[in-house]
Amino acid sequence: MKPFEISIAQDGRPLIAVAGYPVAEGVLTILFGESGIGKSLSALAVAGLVEPAELTISVDRESYAHYLARGDVREYRASGFFVFQEPSSHLNPLMTLRRQLNEGSLARATNEPDVIRRLWQGNEQEAASILDVYPKPYRPSGGEKQRVLAAMAFKKMSLLRPGSSGFFVFDEPTASLDNRLRDEFIDLLVDYLPQAPAAVLLITHDYSIVARLTRRHARLSGKVAFKEMYLVRGKQEVRDFEPREYLGWVSSLKPLGPGTAPAEFVLRVASGMRVLSRSYRFVRKEGDANAATLTVYKGRMTYLKGGSGLGKTTVLKTIMGLFEPEKMVVEIGGRRFTRENRRKDWSRSVWGRKMTMVFQHADEALNQRALVRDVFGGLPGFESSERNMLDALAKLFDAEAEGSFLNRPVYTLSGGQKQRLNLVRSMILQTEILLLDEPLSGLDLKASAKVIHLLEQQLARGSAILVVSHNEDIFDALTRPEDVYLLEGHKEGP
Amino acid sequence: MDSSRQFLRQSLGLIRRRKELAWFCMWCAGIGCLFLWDEIFLNAPAFDRVRAALFNTLVSGAGAVFLSLVLGWASGAAFFLLEQRRARYSFALLSLVANAIRSLPQVVLVLVGYVLLNQLILAEIIRSETAQLAWVTVTVSVAVFLEVSDTIRSRLEYFRSLEFIDAMLCCGISESRIIHREILWRNSREHLLHKLIALFGVAIFLQCSVDFIVSVGLSTNVSLSNVPLTLGSLLASVDSKQDILALSNLFSDPAYITEIVVRHLQGVSAAFCIVFTLVCFFMIANGYARSRRLNGP
Repeated sequence: MKPFEISIAQDGRPLIAVAGYPVAEGVLTILFGESGIGKSLSALAVAGLVEPAELTISVDRESYAHYLARGDVREYRASGFFVFQEPSSHLNPLMTLRRQLNEGSLARATNEPDVIRRLWQGNEQEAASILDVYPKPYRPSGGEKQRVLAAMAFKKMSLLRPGSSGFFVFDEPTASLDNRLRDEFIDLLVDYLPQAPAAVLLITHDYSIVARLTRRHARLSGKVAFKEMYLVRGKQEVRDFEPREYLGWVSSLKPLGPGTAPAEFVLRVASGMRVLSRSYRFVRKEGDANAATLTVYKGRMTYLKGGSGLGKTTVLKTIMGLFEPEKMVVEIGGRRFTRENRRKDWSRSVWGRKMTMVFQHADEALNQRALVRDVFGGLPGFESSERNMLDALAKLFDAEAEGSFLNRPVYTLSGGQKQRLNLVRSMILQTEILLLDEPLSGLDLKASAKVIHLLEQQLARGSAILVVSHNEDIFDALTRPEDVYLLEGHKEGP
Repeated sequence: MDSSRQFLRQSLGLIRRRKELAWFCMWCAGIGCLFLWDEIFLNAPAFDRVRAALFNTLVSGAGAVFLSLVLGWASGAAFFLLEQRRARYSFALLSLVANAIRSLPQVVLVLVGYVLLNQLILAEIIRSETAQLAWVTVTVSVAVFLEVSDTIRSRLEYFRSLEFIDAMLCCGISESRIIHREILWRNSREHLLHKLIALFGVAIFLQCSVDFIVSVGLSTNVSLSNVPLTLGSLLASVDSKQDILALSNLFSDPAYITEIVVRHLQGVSAAFCIVFTLVCFFMIANGYARSRRLNGP
């Protein structure tokens, strides 16, 4: 297998036009790039999984039908595996996960105990209880489904015979995994890689993978390729990504905000918050018996960490007054809010005035049917003139943010553009407190650096920031140790 | 020449893809052909009556649809906001009114409107034909606006669960802007337009049905002869009834069809206008739903 030339169009409109889509036999390729620019669609096309009914597809200048009929393509499709970004789309709701894990050729693989033990971090009992259920949209969790799919891929990888070829794709396989599981996944992938003469493509936004691979698995340097996909004048380009660039950038990051002792807090959340039958407490470090009060100071950034699916987003939304808690004491800008308060109390004095929040998924946080200019409409204190809107966009967008950009429907933007728009909308409000839920999600390194610069400006202006993120490498470096909290949560009642 | 051929080809392609356009064109063509036929074979006073009846019916139907949109939008948004703000008493009162309207068959509601119209005419409060037609329009819209209200409530309910509403609220954007502009205008106007097209057919059907029912006369002083002419009242007139009854001759003498289409045109035209309009608007609503993929929420 060698890099592919792929072109995909819909109704004459080009969706993908990329030369050198990075796939190489015996190499683990890590592909970065802003979300929505065509990384996954290209991988699906190479793997022969695109439904060609409404698309015009060519791979290596061959029609899609010709490409799929090629002998080598048939072989690496049959021996390979595709771990989808959204695992529910892969799993059959009418079969238990265990049956699916042993379906067809997967039944011959003997490495299941090892894979399961490592992906469940030694808790085989928990894994067993998960594997005997039928997958539903809400159960098991996204992270558990992702682990089951990864386990299938590793089993399939172990079946490859010397001389045979296979194409393995992991599309955002760590998106729902916490840092410890993500590292375990990488270690597992590296361990199985030498046994498989396969082309392995890992599509991700998670740059922390770079640190794990280069620090822990330096011996693999010749077998790992880091690439980044860009959109240049409507066409995709793939360039080499230099791990040192990321590692150097991370090591250059310093805590944001003033180093002096904080004068005044603007947000305080007491431990013991209970919402949706779950209790939450904040601690300073793992295993700490003493619960702390989450305190966010003016001009400083506070970082709230916690495992996947624990409820970090729920806590942020409860602080924002979007969920009705069973128990809560929050102080926002000198005003106390408890479970007795109603949404209208937040609506009148908090939302968009004292505090705002950037939601995790830009796709869901923006009205897809609106135009870019409409996103700025109705924001308190913001005059939505064309000049003001372009000035606001210029903070996170390059030359792309010109007059005509304002008239583009939101649904036509790439995932990264949507995320930047999502951030800009909240940041121009200049509220006292800014809650950020995964602010770097879907962004490439350049855009991430711009966001961090903007956060620095917000802090310099006196805003306080509370951030939730899986990018621990980055936010650990940007936050002072005394401003880092760990969230712990446990279910109460049946 | 080439450009006009290309325009024609594009137009035909559009009509083929969009069934609602095809049916609208068919309705225009059907009514156009009928008028052309009537122009040749129907006497001038009767043709004037057919034209006036169709015009009044369409205007009244369109007015009813517009008023339903206004009432439905206002009540749907009010239901949603009262529920959100937990205004229990106001919500209960509004529900009581809505359920009271809902509990009565639509035809009965329109009939009650006609009875009131009778009283207003007798008391000489309403005199002009325009005012009478406006009254009928309001009556029909009161009978049907809850369908728009229900559509609006279901759209608001669906969007309430989506994250972008919360994201906008957190940015300080007012709830009323989110409801009216972002949810109803930007994300629901196709659903609402579909509902309004369907309601247009319902409004015409209701009006014609009630006109036919009251053709016996509302009181000794008020009958269909002194309320505005509509397709229903035209069909209910003695001349038209005779025209329709003449259709029965076809059973014994099929060749009588040639007489029907030249000698009994008033009744046949009125009946054709009603049935053809109802069928076409039913198909337009269905075609629109299909082409805009409005099956889901």
